[in-house]
Amino acid sequence: MTFSPDDRILFELWGIPLNATIFYTWVVMALLTIAASLITRNLRPDVPPNRWRTTLEVIVLAIQAQIEEVAGRRENHLLYFAGTIFLFVAVSNLLLVIPGFEPPTASLSTTTALALSVLVAVPIFGITSRGLGGYLRTYLEPSFVMLPFKIISEMSRAISLAIRLYGNIMSGAVIAAILLSVAPFFFPVVMDVLGLLTGLIQAYIFAILAAVYISSATADGAEPI
Amino acid sequence: MSIDWITVAAQIVNFLVLVWLLKRFLYRPILDGIDRREVEITQRMQEAAHVREQAQAMEQAYRDKVQALDVAQADLTETIRRKAEEQRDALLADARRKLEKEHETWRTHLDDEARKYKARLHRAGAASLLALTGKALDDLADETLEERMARHLAQKLGPMAQDLRRAAAKVSEAVVTSQGPLSQAGRQAVQSELQDVFPDISVRFETDEEQSPGLVLRMGGAEVAWTVETYLEGLASMIDAELVSGRDAPGAER
Repeated sequence: MTFSPDDRILFELWGIPLNATIFYTWVVMALLTIAASLITRNLRPDVPPNRWRTTLEVIVLAIQAQIEEVAGRRENHLLYFAGTIFLFVAVSNLLLVIPGFEPPTASLSTTTALALSVLVAVPIFGITSRGLGGYLRTYLEPSFVMLPFKIISEMSRAISLAIRLYGNIMSGAVIAAILLSVAPFFFPVVMDVLGLLTGLIQAYIFAILAAVYISSATADGAEPI
Repeated sequence: MSIDWITVAAQIVNFLVLVWLLKRFLYRPILDGIDRREVEITQRMQEAAHVREQAQAMEQAYRDKVQALDVAQADLTETIRRKAEEQRDALLADARRKLEKEHETWRTHLDDEARKYKARLHRAGAASLLALTGKALDDLADETLEERMARHLAQKLGPMAQDLRRAAAKVSEAVVTSQGPLSQAGRQAVQSELQDVFPDISVRFETDEEQSPGLVLRMGGAEVAWTVETYLEGLASMIDAELVSGRDAPGAER
């Protein structure tokens, strides 16, 4: 039994083997990009928005409001970053209900990649906001003794992000697979519904934590969690 | 549970590409659209407020105009009413004047008619009196009325001699006028009496058909008349005096 989609090679592209993680990531990316592109084309201020555009506006404004609530200010770059994390993770998890689809978030490589992205984004946003010296000084506050603990904290954040998401999604998929073999008609459906809820919650948690980490590194951000 | 670092790197790249794609096709269009719509709504609300202010200003201007028109209409109505009253008063005064004038004309005409009627009555009375008296004198005394009146005038000259002398001090001629030719006896009676009173004066006898029957003696500015008309006038004055006294008397019937 294969638990990780990384191990499942679907085909080769120019001699490079493509596993299910990358392929379904591209599927999610294509789905998000095409949907956004179709909905947001021909936007004019004098034309009332249709229901799809209104739905997208509600989603984007909800993400922006959550990030603003966490960061204490409106930050578009943070919206792009954390919002993309949320949408990618949420769509990947929601597509779990489609038979044959393997969510890329069930791959530890994907969650690690996202966690590493957050890990790198935190100093980038911090340096951009505070400057290099200002950001590095946060590692020495309130005392230089805190430096190793701060570094360990940064690393543990990334690891916890990666493991939390991977564990939740992978376990949901594995449990669904196991129950499918044991009781193929009822329990997999219930588990899939539960998986949808869990997937959305995990997407929300991952994005919010990313926003909190990044905003805490910026000038007047929230206190680190 | 293993990490494929090549997949990790690919997923990092994929994630960054997805960030760029969503920024390009989702966030920017949505946020820019919302911003543009907010600007559009703000502009429209400002335009609506501006239009509302203009409408309110126009409404106020129209209200002022209507009020001014009402005031002007009231003034015009008052002016017209005042002019109408003046014209009415003028027309009434003019009508009153015309009425008074017509009334005066009517009164004049009435007085004239009354005078003419009175004159006709006088003439009829005089003619009747003259005819009756003349017939009575002719039947009873074989004498004409004018001869008798001439003698009567001659008798009246005596008591009036002093007055006549004063009135006709430097007059050399006396004129005696009658309606018809006076008889010889009558002429002699008048002439002899005048000669007695005024010895230096000559007497001339004339006729005047317009004159009432009787005699009129003129000496310069003095005139003594003894005619039927004077008799009737005296009679009428007496009757009027009697009527006035009777009307004013106590116990008279009102």
